[in-house]
Amino acid sequence: MKTTNAQTQSLSPETRNGMARLRGATDCDQTPPAGAAQRQGVARSRKRAPGVLMITEGTYPYATGGVSSWCDVLISGLEETQWEILPITAGGRRMRQRFTLPANARLLRPIELWSENRPRRRMPRIHVRSDVSLPTRLLRGLMPWTGDHQDLADALVGCRERPQMIRPEFRSRDSWEAFLRALDEVLGEKHADSAPAPTFDAIEAARLYQTLYWVARTAAVPTPPCELLHVTAAGWAAIPALVHKALYGTPLLLTEHGVYVREAYLASVREAAMTPGQGHISPRLALGLTRATYAAADVIAPVTEANAAWERGLGADPAKIRVIPNGIHPPTERSDPPNARKVIAMGRVDPLKDVQTMMLVAEEVTRRMPDARFEYWGPATPGQETYALACTRMHEELGLGDRFRFMGRTDDPHGVIRSGDLVLMTSISEAMPMALLEAMAQSRPAVATSVGGVPAVLRGCGIIAPPGDVHALATGVVTLLGNPALAATLGRRGFDRLHRRYTLDRCLAGYRDLIRGLVTGAPV
Amino acid sequence: MSQTPTNGYGHGASSNGHGHAASPNGHGLSAPTNGYDRTAPGSPGTGEHTRLDRPLDPYAEAIVEARLGRPARDVLEATVALEAWGGKFALPAMSAARDLINLDSPPLQSRTKVEPTEEREQESVVAEGITLVLLILSVAAWATPIREQLGPGVLSHAIRVALPIAVALQWALRSRYLSRRAGLQCLARDSLVCAGLVIALIEVPLALIPNWGPVAAMMVPVWVGGTILTRRGWGLMYAAVLVVGTVALDSGQPAYLALGALTAITLLMCLMAVRTRSQPTDERAGTVRRALLAAILGGCVGVLLVADPTLGWGVHGIHPAVALLPSVIGSFWGGYYLWNFYDEIPRGLRDVPLGGASRAAFGDPAMSIFVGAILRLVGATVVLSALVIAAGGWTHGTDALSLFVAFGCVGLLSLLIGMLESFALQRAALIAAVMALAVEFAWPHLSHSHVPGAGLAVGAAVGVLLTLPSLMNRLVRSGRVLATMLWIQ
Repeated sequence: MKTTNAQTQSLSPETRNGMARLRGATDCDQTPPAGAAQRQGVARSRKRAPGVLMITEGTYPYATGGVSSWCDVLISGLEETQWEILPITAGGRRMRQRFTLPANARLLRPIELWSENRPRRRMPRIHVRSDVSLPTRLLRGLMPWTGDHQDLADALVGCRERPQMIRPEFRSRDSWEAFLRALDEVLGEKHADSAPAPTFDAIEAARLYQTLYWVARTAAVPTPPCELLHVTAAGWAAIPALVHKALYGTPLLLTEHGVYVREAYLASVREAAMTPGQGHISPRLALGLTRATYAAADVIAPVTEANAAWERGLGADPAKIRVIPNGIHPPTERSDPPNARKVIAMGRVDPLKDVQTMMLVAEEVTRRMPDARFEYWGPATPGQETYALACTRMHEELGLGDRFRFMGRTDDPHGVIRSGDLVLMTSISEAMPMALLEAMAQSRPAVATSVGGVPAVLRGCGIIAPPGDVHALATGVVTLLGNPALAATLGRRGFDRLHRRYTLDRCLAGYRDLIRGLVTGAPV
Repeated sequence: MSQTPTNGYGHGASSNGHGHAASPNGHGLSAPTNGYDRTAPGSPGTGEHTRLDRPLDPYAEAIVEARLGRPARDVLEATVALEAWGGKFALPAMSAARDLINLDSPPLQSRTKVEPTEEREQESVVAEGITLVLLILSVAAWATPIREQLGPGVLSHAIRVALPIAVALQWALRSRYLSRRAGLQCLARDSLVCAGLVIALIEVPLALIPNWGPVAAMMVPVWVGGTILTRRGWGLMYAAVLVVGTVALDSGQPAYLALGALTAITLLMCLMAVRTRSQPTDERAGTVRRALLAAILGGCVGVLLVADPTLGWGVHGIHPAVALLPSVIGSFWGGYYLWNFYDEIPRGLRDVPLGGASRAAFGDPAMSIFVGAILRLVGATVVLSALVIAAGGWTHGTDALSLFVAFGCVGLLSLLIGMLESFALQRAALIAAVMALAVEFAWPHLSHSHVPGAGLAVGAAVGVLLTLPSLMNRLVRSGRVLATMLWIQ
């Protein structure tokens, strides 16, 4: 990472007063947006710019999983870059670090949502109070089908500049009453893409109000100076970046592993206990944040073309989109399958993985091929323990016994995959699953559902079936288990395809170019 | 089934990026509209909300309704369902989804579910109440033997110092640990630090004070330990220990020995209570800032109790301790009733439309629970005070009505301050507590009355007057209480 020559500049009195909490400086070369020039100067100081500020949401370095692994690989791989990691976590819990950060990365204090901590205080400054209260502005910026991004950005910047005002504003009677009036208007909006919004009761209104309070709190957290903002999801993680970008014009890179809005909708669809009002809040909030992030991002880097299609569909500027597929370190030699009729599945026990369909597939396969065996490797997703229990019960009801076994977590995914003849994936939602890349690396074919980027990855080296189609998936598995020659051919193709398209070096090179381009202002 | 991405659901045609151009305004979804003219008369968005008159994809509609159990609410929801369970790619799914949205459908009605508070927590409150009563009776019973053995000044001084400290610690413990589901585990995690701080900052300095210091140093852990033990569910064991200690004192055992043994046993039980609940937890304890503020507020209430010079703790026998009983029980009952806030306010606001979410109504849950709590406190205090006064001749206790009024006022003030603290209105609570103290301290200089407890009563009444209107003004709007006070702290 290039470190630009930061001009040491004495701070103005206003700077000392107002911006004292922003450590160091941003000395990026980009031209700041209109209105940001004055603030840009404010952020300069004696300290060298640290490079890239990566903002994560519920993942790195506190949780395991695909996104966290990707963050770790990217940070370790781009060792010439200085990274600062700003995680956003759910508060009220002590977080344990699951990854050891490399020497070129520094972990910042996490932003804890729903914690009991009070907003930070800053020296009060004279400011023009907006006619519209903060909760109402955030509501109008985030919840309508088409929010006002500029006013949203201004409101979020106001939270950063006057954090001490957030709590009093949200606790005031006037704000609450104005919010209720505005919410009534927002819910009454008509749009061709949306049926009438559900009616909210007072509790749901209060819940949304509380959520917006945490949006404001997240915006208020100071971000360190940096040359590039790298956001790993277009949701909560984007909020500090939106403010930073609005203040200093720092370029913003968004990597989308899964499409945030899509996942929010999936979650609300899956959650049967959710009331219509709750089911409206979460996806709409995601939509508002996502659209604001797409509008502000300089580059949107989905991991697969399937995500890019969603992004374009959601209104992202196609010129901003640059697909950078995930990659792994491939072995140099192919490994032979054991021909043990063993099927491996890797992933968390989570409704998105549709483990129940997988068990039905196993049931059908073992009926047709009694010596086939299935192993499911991976822990239950935190918060999905009920689903995991339901899977265990279904396993008992189907009488699968040793034919399908839940194996738990593994530290050796490659070894696990090598021990099987093929990899099975029944997910209803995926972006670019690492399990498939790992299967290709071990020359194993895969049978997978046609979701997200899966068909593009598996082109010519696996079998694709519609999600939830037990018979088609089972037929795919039986076909490959019963025809080792075909399986070996597909495995070889996968190995070669991985070497051509999905190596880690290729992925890192993509990001290296992108980051360099964004920091220097060169075309990306 | 098919090799590579063509499965008969339009996959092959969609992954090449056709139709990718973003909508010009960046707001609408840019999926191909299949000739759907949004600006045409009769189309959605022109005010006439009718569905396009062309054949729907019955498969798509069936998939969406089967998965959602209802029609899709918007294009994105239908798209997600078609993609996840219909095997369609994003853009064809968006295109198909657009035809599935019924713009004339009635809004879905929300009905929030309200989960009741854990019964275990409520049970622990009852046990705490029983233990509290026994504690007060025990302290009352200790008065005579300690006074006889150590002199009248020792007990009086010890109580005047130990009581505020103990109340402060109890409030802090509740705020940071005991009011939380995993509070004991959090306390176990921090036990060494907590014990170290209490020993260094409270116990050692107290023990070094001649005469009454060691007694105060023993009273603090006995009282504070009771809070931990009742939270653990060991309230009755603790009560039994208190009774044994009281019997030992009354039977002429040396006061230091009996109190020392009581302290040691209480601390040992606390250690066991915390250690046996030391399963690892990721839950966080409350903030130090809030615990400190709670301690200050608790300390103020404690000082308020002991600062009135007309109350002779220990000097006049068991009077003050027994007179405290009615108000403590009343305050406890009122406080227990306030637990209903967490259930009843959401329950009362369920199905309330937005227009009613900020209405002022005295019949709404927040105000009715508040009034119910006050009535319980006052009612219990009055009835029990009458009983204690009536039994005064038999127990050789007090019959000074003013004392009961004073303690009743303190009970009420304590309840109100506790409410303000739980609503994160600590500044208002602190002002009320400090003003109450200031008036109590000033009272002997303002009045030459020697009515027992007059200063205490006036000070507490001032505190009540400062807090009551502000609380009632807020509580009259249940929606506001929930949104701006309970859920935003």
